[in-house]
Amino acid sequence: MLNRLSWKKFVTLLVIALAVSPMLVQAQDEVTLRIIGLRVTPEEEGRPLDLARKELISTFEEANPGVTIDALEAPPEFDTVLLTDLAAGTAPDIWYQDASTLDRLVDTGYLLDINACLPLVPELTLDRFAPTFLGIHQREDGAIWGLPDGGTPMVMYYNPESFERAGVELPTSDWTWEEFLDVTRRLTIDSEGRNSLDPDFDEENVVQYGFRVRQFIFEWIYWVWQNGGDVISPDGTTVSGYLDSPETIEAITFLRDMVLEYGVSPDPTTLGEMIQETGFLTVFLQGEVAIFPRGHWELTGIFANEEYTPERLGIVGNPSNVADATVLYESGWMINKAVESDPAKLLAACKFLEAATDAVPYQNSKVVSGLELSANAESAAAAPAASEYPEITQAFVDEIANGRLPYGARYSNWPTVESAIDLMMENILAGGDVEEEVAFAVEEINRELSR
Amino acid sequence: MAYARGEPRPFTAVQKKPNFWQRFWSRSNERVGYLFILPSFIHLIVFLVIPLGFSLYLSFTDWRGPNFQNAPFIGAENYQFLLGDRRFWNAMKNSIYFTLLSVPLGMVISLLVALVMNQNLKGVYIFRTLFFMPVISSWVAVSVVWITLLDPQVGILNYVLEGLGLPPANWLGDPLTAMPAVVMISIWKGLGFNMVIWLAGLQAIPQELHEAAAIDGASRWQAFRRITIPLLSPTTFFLAITGVIGALQVFSSVYVITKGGPRGSTDVVVFRIYQRAFEEFEFGLASSQAWVLFAVIFSLTVVQVWYRRRQGEETMF
Repeated sequence: MLNRLSWKKFVTLLVIALAVSPMLVQAQDEVTLRIIGLRVTPEEEGRPLDLARKELISTFEEANPGVTIDALEAPPEFDTVLLTDLAAGTAPDIWYQDASTLDRLVDTGYLLDINACLPLVPELTLDRFAPTFLGIHQREDGAIWGLPDGGTPMVMYYNPESFERAGVELPTSDWTWEEFLDVTRRLTIDSEGRNSLDPDFDEENVVQYGFRVRQFIFEWIYWVWQNGGDVISPDGTTVSGYLDSPETIEAITFLRDMVLEYGVSPDPTTLGEMIQETGFLTVFLQGEVAIFPRGHWELTGIFANEEYTPERLGIVGNPSNVADATVLYESGWMINKAVESDPAKLLAACKFLEAATDAVPYQNSKVVSGLELSANAESAAAAPAASEYPEITQAFVDEIANGRLPYGARYSNWPTVESAIDLMMENILAGGDVEEEVAFAVEEINRELSR
Repeated sequence: MAYARGEPRPFTAVQKKPNFWQRFWSRSNERVGYLFILPSFIHLIVFLVIPLGFSLYLSFTDWRGPNFQNAPFIGAENYQFLLGDRRFWNAMKNSIYFTLLSVPLGMVISLLVALVMNQNLKGVYIFRTLFFMPVISSWVAVSVVWITLLDPQVGILNYVLEGLGLPPANWLGDPLTAMPAVVMISIWKGLGFNMVIWLAGLQAIPQELHEAAAIDGASRWQAFRRITIPLLSPTTFFLAITGVIGALQVFSSVYVITKGGPRGSTDVVVFRIYQRAFEEFEFGLASSQAWVLFAVIFSLTVVQVWYRRRQGEETMF
């Protein structure tokens, strides 16, 4: 009797197991990738960037049956939330990350070395990337932390109408510091139409400034490089001999003088008053500031501004002194190291990175979506021809050759250094003595770095 | 009755003293009481005591997050570093400046408002509600309104200054005026709360004392100085203590309105702690800053309590 019951139980269990097993197998093959970086802001919905990302998702899901993409919204205070989620084990599988904070993430040990993907997805080749962008993610030990998606060099935005108003010829990318200063002085005009070189120039009634200098180092570090200086040692352990080097002090003084000596840039207080009501882009497009430094991302804001007309926008490379230099700001795709424990998810994640960095369809769409230049070399090379505004795109592409990596991608304690240098520059632009402020900052930063 | 050594003694029942748990379960009233406070007690342990202990431990580590395995114990190094950290001490100086400006001014202004709101005026309840509304408003919403009011070009405050023949100010853009502007906003936002506390204190003063003073020929000012102010002293003490504690922890207004600028003039301690922890991810150092701030607040509170006791007043502490 017992034996018969056991047989009955056995057969019943077998039937259930056979019935359920296909479902289990299917469940195992089903992979959901949770990804941050594919959603856009409500204002961007329906625009080219949104459409390009949606196409990437649908193309990828079609090509990889069983893989579903759960596109998550990027939370506010992204870096903080991400770190918390990583520690809690609730972070997304893949996310889109500004390289300016990459090194700190690498230090946490939560990133997957992309070398793990290369044998799994042979189509994912590194030669697809522009070397300068890929270099931001590569380390000397061979590790690759994330893959580049897109980026931008810092360039000079200018308003051609401001040039016309001041009777100044449009700039070309081969200009020098001396020429730049001369141009900005002639662009700075008062309410009577006199420029700042005129002895009767009324600096109390400036209606158009030549340039905009701000305290933030992300907007001026390449001026230091252009002058052969630097702000931190290559190993990131000291700023002595770098931030206080003659070349760096000369570059900082040059920027300071544009504000306080020549008055070609509004001081921070005046600038704050100018932009309070309408924001800077409107001020720029209305011709109150002729030139300002910025990356590709600003184009989206400019094109969306009511004051924009094609006649009010031009892009040109940075002036040089002893060297041509700019900084490259870049964002890339990171994979959570936790996916390593699930081979199917690891494979899906690697395949997604391959799809997201491939020229077709996503990387080629960047030229239309406008946020940044593609990190894919083929897409970047084809961008000017495909662009609605080829000259502007070409100016960005040309400047990449002078690009250097952002220090946040290489030094994990860069945010601390950055905030101290920003404060130093704020004091200098408010009239502080350059050498004193620099010496003070060097002491402060070295204390931080010695910890 | 004495017994010789070794002599058997008669059996007597020994009353064994009940231990804590036996006493606890034998008294149903106590049991119910403890059960009622149990959720709060657990909440207190989980969300206050444990995090406090954890942050104290963190202050002796170099934890830069998020993996707690990377939290080397470094003893008092964070505290030693803070001794020479000029940005931290600048923030401490700013916090104290904010406290010295906002607490006395806020108390005086809210007392004046409370005195008016304590009168039998028509519609006084509506005014009390209006004065209290900023207290329950969001800091972000309030800040956006104030940023507009303080705008150097279109702000209403500069119109008022110009009307008075005074030069306009760049309230939030000038290091000299930025902190007073933040103080002004904070006082305005906290006015209703202080007013309610003052009102409670004023209404607890027996009316007979004022009547007796009036019969004795005391003026209203004399009655205020000799009766109201002394009898309000427990309220004054309470508002001073909570005001100082709150002011030294100011954060929201600075975070939303000035971000610590211009030129670090509104960089207060809690904002510095926030920057260290959540922008620079130095949780160990940020924790040590928080504990230094705690020590400062605790010391000031002890001094205030000591001063009040020295004057022979009772305190709730």
